[in-house]
Amino acid sequence: MAKILVAEDDKLISNSLCDALKAAGHEPVPAYDGEDAVAKAKEIAPDLLLLDIMMPKLDGISVLWELKANPETAKIAVIVLTNLGDVETISKILEAGATDYLLKSDQSVDDIMQKVKDVLARSVKLA
Amino acid sequence: MIINILLFIDFVMLAVVIIGYVYSSLQERRYLRRQASQSLELQQKVYQAQVLKEINERIGYSLDTGKIVDIITSSLGNLLEYDTVSYMVLEESGKVIFKCHVENTVNHEFVEQVKEKMLLSYSAILNREIKPSVVDESVTGNILDDNLKAEVESFFNLPVVISEKLVGIINVASVEKGRFGEGQASILYTITNQAAMAVSKLQAVLESEKGKLAAIIYSLADGVVMVNTNNQLLVSNPAIKKILGLEQDKALTMFDVVDGLAGKVDIRTKIEQSLAEDKPIFVHEVILKDKALELTISPVKNSQGEKLGSSVVFHDITTEKSLDKLRQDFTAMMVHELRAPLTAVRWSSESLLKNLSVANGADQAKVKDTVVTIETASNNMLELVNDLLDVAKLEAGKFELNVQEYDLVGLIQEQAKVFRPQAEQKHLTLNVTSPEKYLLKFDRVRIGQVLGNLISNAIKYTDSGQVEVNLAANAEKKEAVVSVKDSGIGVAREDLSQLFSKFKQLKSADRSRKGTGLGLVVSKGIVEAHGGRIWAESAGESLGSTFYFSLPI
Repeated sequence: MAKILVAEDDKLISNSLCDALKAAGHEPVPAYDGEDAVAKAKEIAPDLLLLDIMMPKLDGISVLWELKANPETAKIAVIVLTNLGDVETISKILEAGATDYLLKSDQSVDDIMQKVKDVLARSVKLA
Repeated sequence: MIINILLFIDFVMLAVVIIGYVYSSLQERRYLRRQASQSLELQQKVYQAQVLKEINERIGYSLDTGKIVDIITSSLGNLLEYDTVSYMVLEESGKVIFKCHVENTVNHEFVEQVKEKMLLSYSAILNREIKPSVVDESVTGNILDDNLKAEVESFFNLPVVISEKLVGIINVASVEKGRFGEGQASILYTITNQAAMAVSKLQAVLESEKGKLAAIIYSLADGVVMVNTNNQLLVSNPAIKKILGLEQDKALTMFDVVDGLAGKVDIRTKIEQSLAEDKPIFVHEVILKDKALELTISPVKNSQGEKLGSSVVFHDITTEKSLDKLRQDFTAMMVHELRAPLTAVRWSSESLLKNLSVANGADQAKVKDTVVTIETASNNMLELVNDLLDVAKLEAGKFELNVQEYDLVGLIQEQAKVFRPQAEQKHLTLNVTSPEKYLLKFDRVRIGQVLGNLISNAIKYTDSGQVEVNLAANAEKKEAVVSVKDSGIGVAREDLSQLFSKFKQLKSADRSRKGTGLGLVVSKGIVEAHGGRIWAESAGESLGSTFYFSLPI
């Protein structure tokens, strides 16, 4: 069981993700904007962050920068979930230090759960 | 006696006959003489015309003064008898060109005398002394023989004036005294005059064409330079200095151009390549400071196909590029906004399917939740698609209104009621100030759409404070004005005018607040279709903003 922060402003998508994570035996914590995501990341020290890019207050890329700049949160594994599939955004995401990225509409919830499993297994090994 | 009388009569008759004969023959001779002189004159005239024609043809399109005078003098041999024909041209550099064609052998002294007489005459016309030290001299034709005794016994100088400007002097000289009379002078005058006129006309045409061309190049937004085959700059326009960021009053050199493009394009190599390959070369997207340029380097040739140099055209594609960027951003935004609800629908259906296939029966509450999610996501997407369709209709000019008399206050209250829960959720107050009733002709659905859009935007972009909707009539301007004022993030002054543009959302890097901005584009179309106006005011970022729209009374 892992503690997973779900930073997603779209309630519909957030709910779907949280439900699936719960079903897979994890403990999801939703954050509905960028600032909230940064605060909760510090507060709960999650094993994994599922991060949306287009969010109110602070966009996903800025959230990544803030987390990576802080030694407390720099090591949190981050999977970026986005609907922006352009090369520019993707390269920005990877530059900012995301562990992986997924194009939301191309994936089913099951695909995402598989990715979560993979990333968690990897970070356990690294730890 | 009778015989004497008869002889006398005979004599008289003979005399009459002889006198008559002599008279008639005199008449005839006079006639013949007149005819001969007439035909000579005619012949001269024909000749003159032929020479003129030849001069005209030979001048062709040449505007080289020296060449023109050369052509005139070389044609004179057919019409005039002289020993030398010469011309003198004063070049702009101050150099005097003296050319003498020797028809019949004379000596050096003779040529010297001709030159002096011409210099004297030239100086007199120009009213200043011309120093013989700067004379570029050439003698052609027959050989000069210094053993021969030859003096200039008769001559005359004729100024050549083209376009009211003295371009040179023609001289004919002879060793014979009184060789040149009025007749010869008149021939020479006619010929030079005609030639000069032809040239003046040609010059005027060329000058006007050149002027037009120069004006076009000068006013072009594209930067233009032309270099000769030695890479020397011949033509440039103000735009090129602007593009290269050079001062307008400084003279441009090829070095400035090469320097300005250093590290981006080796323009000299491109010019050489274009000349060698004899075809235009394009250099796409040269980024110079904040400008994107497209260069076209083409060889320049005259009508004979002779290479004169190259032209380089600098086309500023910054606007095209930024429009292109806007279009790309717009597409990215649309893709995102359409994918988001689709994702929700897809994931919800997936979860629904799973739930329904659970053996011990589906969780009713969960199923309901999922279906609500699907419904909401579908509605969001439908809204967006409708906005897109409205924009398409507006752009195609196929926007139809159903205008009737309604109470505008009633509609405002109705919309406020719809959005109040949303405002309360963000702890914002939503107030309406208006008269009790205001009857006006408008399309109720469409104006409702505008009000909804403005109010929901105000709520979306405000984190604390209030949203105020106001209706006031402006009798003077004959319009009813609705304003939606918020205490939200405000709009930067430079972005105010862009707000109602299809691509506006993308100007700001702030993607944190969702929205396509299409609502405002649609609102503008709706209001304008009613004959009204829509605009926004803001004191600046984080100072709130007020959106207005008016409807004619």
